[in-house]
Amino acid sequence: MSFRSRLLAGFALTVFVSVAAVTLIVSAVTRRAFERANDERTTALVAQFQHAFNRRGEEVVQRVEAVAATDISTRLALNLNRNAPNYAAYLSEAKSLADSQKLDFLELADSDGTIISSAQWPAKFGYHELFSLTGPVPKDVFLRQEDLPTGPALGLSAIRKVDVGDKSLYVIGGRRMDKNFMASLELPNGMRAMLYQKLSEEKAGAAVSLQYLIDPSGTLQQPDRVAPLIEHVLKTRQETTAIVHWSSDASDDESVHAIPLGGQDNQILAVLILGSSRRSVVELQQHIRSAALLAASVGIALAILFSRWTAARVTRPVEQLADAAREIAAGNWNTKVPVTSSDELGALAKSFNRMTGELLERKEQLVKTERVAAWRELARRLAHELKNPMFPLQLTVENLIRAREQSPEQFEEVFQESSSTLLAEISNLKTIVSRFSEFSSMPQPQFQSVQINDIVRNVVRLLQAQLQSGSRIPIECKLELSGSPQPIAADPDLLYRAVSNLVFNALDAMPQGGRLTLRTRDGPNGVLVEISDTGIGLSAEDRGRLFTPYYTSKADGTGLGLAIVQSIVSDHGGRISVRSQPGQGTTFVIELPRNLDKLPVTGLIQTEYEAKM
Amino acid sequence: MRRSGLPLVVVTSLLFGDVTSAATRPRYGGTLKVAMRAAPTSLDPADSSQPESLARRNLSGLIFDTLVVLDDQDRPHPALASSWQSEPGSQRWQFYIRPGVTFHDGTALSSGAVAASLRAANSKWKIFSAGPGIVIECDVPTPNLPGELAMARYGIAKRDGGKLTGSGAFSVAHWDPGKKLTLTARDDYWDGRAFVDSIEIELGKSLHEQMISLDLGRVDLIEVASDQAQRATTEGRRVDTSSPTELMALVFTNDQHSSGDLQQRETLALSIDRRSLSVVLLQGGADPADGLLPNWMTGYAFLFSTDMDVSRMQSQHRNPRQMSPWTLSYDATDPVARLVAERITLNARDAGLTLQPTNSVNADLRLVRIPLASLDARIALTNLATSLNLAQPTFNGDSANDLYVAERTLLQSRQVIPLLHLRFASALEGGVRNWNTDREGGWRLQDVWLGTGKP
Repeated sequence: MSFRSRLLAGFALTVFVSVAAVTLIVSAVTRRAFERANDERTTALVAQFQHAFNRRGEEVVQRVEAVAATDISTRLALNLNRNAPNYAAYLSEAKSLADSQKLDFLELADSDGTIISSAQWPAKFGYHELFSLTGPVPKDVFLRQEDLPTGPALGLSAIRKVDVGDKSLYVIGGRRMDKNFMASLELPNGMRAMLYQKLSEEKAGAAVSLQYLIDPSGTLQQPDRVAPLIEHVLKTRQETTAIVHWSSDASDDESVHAIPLGGQDNQILAVLILGSSRRSVVELQQHIRSAALLAASVGIALAILFSRWTAARVTRPVEQLADAAREIAAGNWNTKVPVTSSDELGALAKSFNRMTGELLERKEQLVKTERVAAWRELARRLAHELKNPMFPLQLTVENLIRAREQSPEQFEEVFQESSSTLLAEISNLKTIVSRFSEFSSMPQPQFQSVQINDIVRNVVRLLQAQLQSGSRIPIECKLELSGSPQPIAADPDLLYRAVSNLVFNALDAMPQGGRLTLRTRDGPNGVLVEISDTGIGLSAEDRGRLFTPYYTSKADGTGLGLAIVQSIVSDHGGRISVRSQPGQGTTFVIELPRNLDKLPVTGLIQTEYEAKM
Repeated sequence: MRRSGLPLVVVTSLLFGDVTSAATRPRYGGTLKVAMRAAPTSLDPADSSQPESLARRNLSGLIFDTLVVLDDQDRPHPALASSWQSEPGSQRWQFYIRPGVTFHDGTALSSGAVAASLRAANSKWKIFSAGPGIVIECDVPTPNLPGELAMARYGIAKRDGGKLTGSGAFSVAHWDPGKKLTLTARDDYWDGRAFVDSIEIELGKSLHEQMISLDLGRVDLIEVASDQAQRATTEGRRVDTSSPTELMALVFTNDQHSSGDLQQRETLALSIDRRSLSVVLLQGGADPADGLLPNWMTGYAFLFSTDMDVSRMQSQHRNPRQMSPWTLSYDATDPVARLVAERITLNARDAGLTLQPTNSVNADLRLVRIPLASLDARIALTNLATSLNLAQPTFNGDSANDLYVAERTLLQSRQVIPLLHLRFASALEGGVRNWNTDREGGWRLQDVWLGTGKP
């Protein structure tokens, strides 16, 4: 990953994390604020509903008091003092009174609780009330389970007593808490009320009887969603609040407030369930969340673009420095980096330019120095090479002159001998000159398909003749060739010359005998040839200057052998290296690429050099 | 009847002329306006699809005569049949048709028309004309055939296609089925012309609407609910009540029952406080029913005493059996039936039984009201058994004991629990004169005439 990419990723990640953190914090704070506002709204709505509920209870009390204040009630109470109640006479009185006061339930009972007249169950005369009428009459409205011919029902009831003489008449009236009652309650907008009537004798732990759960519409969908809430209220006898999910759509959720409603004996007879729609809150939250996501997305996109621009601006000088460094590494010493700023990068670019300038100067100085050194070395070698034949030539000529002056009679004989010597030394000079000439004009390799093992075998075949002559110190020659090396493209003549040079150098390095090993093996990109000897080895200085032309560690060497080898290997695109320690032998390693693309024609691999050999 | 009754009225008027007003003298003319709760859609007396009721009998009697009529002592008297005789065994009867009688369209009443009319009413009998009379052959001995022929469904009608013609005191002037019936008095009626010229009858009116119409003076005669008769009287209205003639009873739908069921049924019968039903709920408009037939008709009904027996009921209740609740159906349009059903539910609950009032027709128990079909006890009992889907009673003789045994057999089947015998009540406008009913509450509008002011 490039520096620019890493910088861009860093910028983007930083911005994303920042935006995400801000979004989460804002979302959490907003949600908490909305929940708090919704709770406050629900509390207000519940209070409003309870106010309406209490008002309806007050109405019941007023209507029951109105019934108790009628002449009929007074007359009936008076008759109770005179004789036994005439049920037939009052059979329909309760019904008439209830209708006049719009009460669903109304019963007139004596002090014993015997029903004299009943509106909700006229045939119930003579029966006793299910609850005791002894004790003080409750002033407020209370819940009561009414017994009806069609089954139990829940009523919001009130009791008033009419005292006439020694007997009292009890007026027990109320309104039925059914869907009509629920519908008559004034509900705030966004709120609805449900009522669970605990009419059946449920066993502890038994499931809630959902048929007793009513709402104004009479068709409550999915009543099981509030069943756990009802069970909780019945168990704990305390108000509770929860959020009920009616569907997968969160906007259908409701904040549900469940309130236990008790009767006279504090037994819970009903659970009032007030549902406050969360649609507005949820929609507002969704709106804010969408806006936040949009803003975050836009922010992230802008941040990425800005990061790209910033990263490009920051990394461009660095990239220019890197490019310049690569150019210099490639040998383009004149490369300069533009200085575009005055900051640290600008200073770096200036330093780089100054450094390259100094490097270039030093390189030129070094080249000049090396060139002088090379000339000096060449002059030294030439002087050395030429001085050796020159000295015999000088002696021979001086001997001729001296013989002509001192012994003319022997001059002819001396002349003959001297001529031979002169010719021999001149020939030696010509040989020296031809070697230098040959080094200066090395031929370019003619590539063809070559098996490296064949080259090595040919060199060894030539070598065997010399090794087997009796005048030589015995040297063991060992071949460790690759089984089936891949053919390479190379000039077989030049390779043969290079390998043979190294082999003869190895022989010269083992004047006391030893072992010569030649190895070939396939490398990842070509073939390797190793020539190892167990000779005297090389010093560190020798290894450093080994391939310098005209440098030799041998007394009669020209210093051109290894330079020629290196030249051949280099012309083949290869590399030569040496491993050696003094006294521990030397190993030359030639690495040759396959160079198959340099073959003049593709197709069959030819090994024509064998015919030449 | 008016020809025989009119001289008496006239003589009375002459004798007490100085102390009674002229309004007591009979007066022809005028329209008697009547309101009824029943809403029959057919006037055919033989149409068995129409529910049997006293109102229907009242209507039929105005248009269609029967061969025989019964007096209040259950004695048959000639009507369209001038005389009759039976062969030994009472399976073959011959009735002689009164001569000179015509239908509303003027055609003479013939024995063939009478035979055809009776065949439409009862297909089991073999009926054919024989000279001036008709012969009826029954498959079983029928000693009370004349009394049976006094029933409204044996009213003589001539059926020409869809047209129905009778020979009664009134002919049909306008008929809007289920809504209104207008009748016109016949001048040529064989028993004398009725006093009123016409009768307008509004059908399908609730008892409440009838009472309002009467109070507003829009009608002269209405029906009154049994439980409202006493109140109406107290409030100063002119009310006439009949003897208890309508049976209110509980009928078990399922006649296949185990011994446990029998015990439950007996417990239910014992739990019902009939006195409270009659005195409080019906406001005295009904008598507790000991048997199927009222005591005034048989004289032995007290022997079936079904008073609430707390000790026996508690004895039964001490060994309660796990029974599923019984459903109890009643006529939801009848407020009296609803009250009675709810009271029975309470009484049953005291006995450990659970009744669930319902309007479903497929209930375990039905609360029914069945009017007595005839003043003849045997005929009435037979019709009650038919209406209650009970086995037909078997009479081994003509004695009261035979009737008692037959009724006791029906009661011992535990298929029916008698509750009340309701009285039929009518309220009259002050101008209605010479008001008279038979013992079962049937109107005799032929004798009524219209005066002014209070009687």
